[in-house]
Amino acid sequence: MDPTDDRPTESVDKTHDRRGAPIDRPTSARDTALRYAETHISHVAVVFAFVLYPVVYSFLLGTPLGDEFAVLLPRIRTMIAVLYLGLFAMSFDFISGYTGYLSFGHAMFYGTGAYLVVMAANGKLPIVSPETPFFVLLLVAAALAGVLALAVGAVSFRLSGVYFAMITLGFAEVLHVFIQNWDRVSDNPRDGAAVTSPDGFELGVPGIDGLTFEIGRLVGDSVENAFGLGIDLSSAELSYYLIGAVVLVCYFALQRIIHSPFGRVLIAIRENEERARAVGYHTFFYKMGAFAIAGAFAAIAGGLYAGYRRSVAPESTFDLFVTADALLASIIGGFGTLAGPLYGHLFHETLSGILSTDSDGLARYLRETIPQSVLEAELVGIEVLRLVNVLIDGRAELYLGMIFILFVLFVPRGLLGSVRDRLGGTVSEVVAMRVRQWRKNR
Amino acid sequence: MVLRTTGLTKHFGGLTAIDEVTFELAGDECCSLIGPNGAGKTTFFNLLTGTLAPSEGRVEFKTAGEWRDLTDAQTHETAQAGIHRSYQISNLFPTSSVLENVRIAAQAHGSDSWKLWQNAENLTQYTEEAYRILDRVGLEDDAHSTAAALSHGNKRNLEVAIALAGDPDVLLLDEPTSGVSTDGIEDVIGVIDDVAEDHAILLVEHNMDVVMEVSDRIAVLHQGQLIANDQPDAVRDDPAVQEAYLGGYAGGETGRGGAA
Repeated sequence: MDPTDDRPTESVDKTHDRRGAPIDRPTSARDTALRYAETHISHVAVVFAFVLYPVVYSFLLGTPLGDEFAVLLPRIRTMIAVLYLGLFAMSFDFISGYTGYLSFGHAMFYGTGAYLVVMAANGKLPIVSPETPFFVLLLVAAALAGVLALAVGAVSFRLSGVYFAMITLGFAEVLHVFIQNWDRVSDNPRDGAAVTSPDGFELGVPGIDGLTFEIGRLVGDSVENAFGLGIDLSSAELSYYLIGAVVLVCYFALQRIIHSPFGRVLIAIRENEERARAVGYHTFFYKMGAFAIAGAFAAIAGGLYAGYRRSVAPESTFDLFVTADALLASIIGGFGTLAGPLYGHLFHETLSGILSTDSDGLARYLRETIPQSVLEAELVGIEVLRLVNVLIDGRAELYLGMIFILFVLFVPRGLLGSVRDRLGGTVSEVVAMRVRQWRKNR
Repeated sequence: MVLRTTGLTKHFGGLTAIDEVTFELAGDECCSLIGPNGAGKTTFFNLLTGTLAPSEGRVEFKTAGEWRDLTDAQTHETAQAGIHRSYQISNLFPTSSVLENVRIAAQAHGSDSWKLWQNAENLTQYTEEAYRILDRVGLEDDAHSTAAALSHGNKRNLEVAIALAGDPDVLLLDEPTSGVSTDGIEDVIGVIDDVAEDHAILLVEHNMDVVMEVSDRIAVLHQGQLIANDQPDAVRDDPAVQEAYLGGYAGGETGRGGAA
C-alpha cells in the first residue's frame, strides 16, 4: 500500500526542492558528463599532485635551497611507503571507521599478503608457482586474506566494542607467533625471508611488454627517455608510479563501495547497530562482508610492500605496531573518511623524515649548518649541540605521540574530517558545486 | 487478525515479566497497551519483535493469508516480515541526515543492499519513499539536517518515520509522546491517527488523553498479566483496571495520567 494513498499528493515539482529552492538538474548529456567531471576535479588534483611530486622534488633539490628542501620533503622512497602503508591504513579505516568495529588484528591481513608474495616467489607455496605474475599474486593474496577475514570474523563478530578489538588482536598475535616459527618461510623464520631470485616483480598494463616494468628496491627498472618524451625515471620513481597506480585503483574501488547501498548499511551499523537490525538488516553478514573486503585490500597493501622491499619480517608485517601505525594514520587523517588515513600517513612519514637521524634529517642538517661557535654556546645552561641531539635527533616517535594525543583531544575528526566539517561536505562535492556556480555565472 | 500470541511467557531468573499473555491484533485497528511502569509493556514489544526470545508460548503473524510462526525469529526477520517498532527513547542514526535515517530503513526492504558497485543515490525509489514518509510526519523541511540536531519532538516523529519505512503491516509504537511538550502532543496524535488509517497499531502510552482519543481497543497489562482487553469506555469503567492503574481517571486530565 502506498503510504500517501488517501491524501491529495502534491504534484511533483521538478524544478524546486521541498524547501522551495530551485533544483539544478542536468540539461543535456553533455551537462551530465560535465557534472560527473566536476565531482572528480579534486580527485584529479590530488592524483596530479602525487604524479608531479617526483619532478617537483628533484627540481627543488637542485635550487640553492636544496639542502633545506631535502630536510623538509619526504624522499621518493619514503613516498612509496606512504602509498602502500596508506592503502593499508585506508583498508583499516574501511572496517573500523565505517562499521565502528576496531580491527586491532588488521596486521594479519597485511602480513598474509606480504608473506604470500615472498613465499610464492621463492617457490615455497603449493599451486602458486614462482612464475606467477605479480598482479595475480596480489589477487591471490586478496582472496586468501578475504577468506581469513571470514574465518576470523565468524568468531569475532559474536562480540562488539573493545572485546571485538581484543579478539582480533588475539588472532593476529597467534599468527604472529606462528609465522615466527614456521620453518617453511626460511631457515630462520624469526628474521623473516627475502626473495632469492634477482628478478624484480613486474607491474604495468597486463599483457603489454612495453608497459610492464620491474619494481623494487635495488632491482627495479629505470627508464630513459620514456615514450620519447625525454623523461628519465629512476627505479625509485618508476616503482613510485606503478605502486601508486595500484593504490589509486584500490582507493577508487573502496570509495565506490562506501557510496553503494552496501556502504550505507555499514554506516548505519556504525551509527546504531540495534536500530539497523530493527529496520531489517541481518547486520552480522554485512559486517562479515566489510571485514572480508577490508582484509583483501590490506593484503594487497602487504603484497605491494613485499614486492617493493623484496623481504618480509614478522615485526614489520604481523606485528601489533603495524596496526597501530594504521590507527595513528586514521586518527590524524580522519576516521571514517577513507582518504584521510593516506594523508595521515603522509604527515607521519614527513615528520619522521624531518626528525630522523639520517643524512636528510634536521639534526644532521643543523649540526652541519650551524657554526661551531653557536653549537658550543650555551642556551639556558645547556650546550646547543646537546639540545639538538636530545630534542631533535631521531625523536619523531616522541613528537608523534604528542601529536596523537593533541589530535584525539582537539581534532577528533582528523585532518580530512575537520576540512569536511568546515566546508560542509566532502571536498569533491564542494569543489564541484563551486565550479558549477562559476560556470553558470560566467 | 494479523498478529497473535498464545500463552506468551518470559521469565528473567525468578521474575515473570510476561505471564501467559494471549493477545490478538486485527489488521485495521489501533490498540493501546497500558499498564503501570514495570508491567512488562516494553518486554512484550521485545518478545514480539524478536529482541528477546520467549520462555514459553508462541508469536504468530499473518502474511498473505497464512499464519507464520515468529516465536524464534530474530529482530531483522520480524522487521522483514512486516512488524516494525519505534522506541521509547529515541533510537536513531544520529550523525546521518534525517532523509538517510528513513532512506536506509526503506532500503532494507528492497533487494539492493548487497550491491557494492552502484551509487546509493541512483536508487531513487528509496529516496522517494523516504520523502513521502517525511511529508507524512511533517519532517520534509528537515530532510537534510542531521538527526541529532532535531528538536526532541521532531526526533519522536523521526522515530515513527523510520518505523514506517518499508510499509509494515504492524506498527508497535513505544510511547511516541514520551517527553513531548503539551503543545506537541496534538501533532503526535495527528501522526498516529494518520498512520492508523493503513496500518495495524499497537501503542504503548502513558498519556491517557492520547490513549482515549486514538484507541479502538485498550489492553491492560499488570504484573505481566493481561487483566483487561476491551473497548476504551469499558476498560475505563472496569474496577480491576481502576484499582491497578488508572487511579480513578475520569477523562480530561493532562500529562502522564494516573499512577504512571
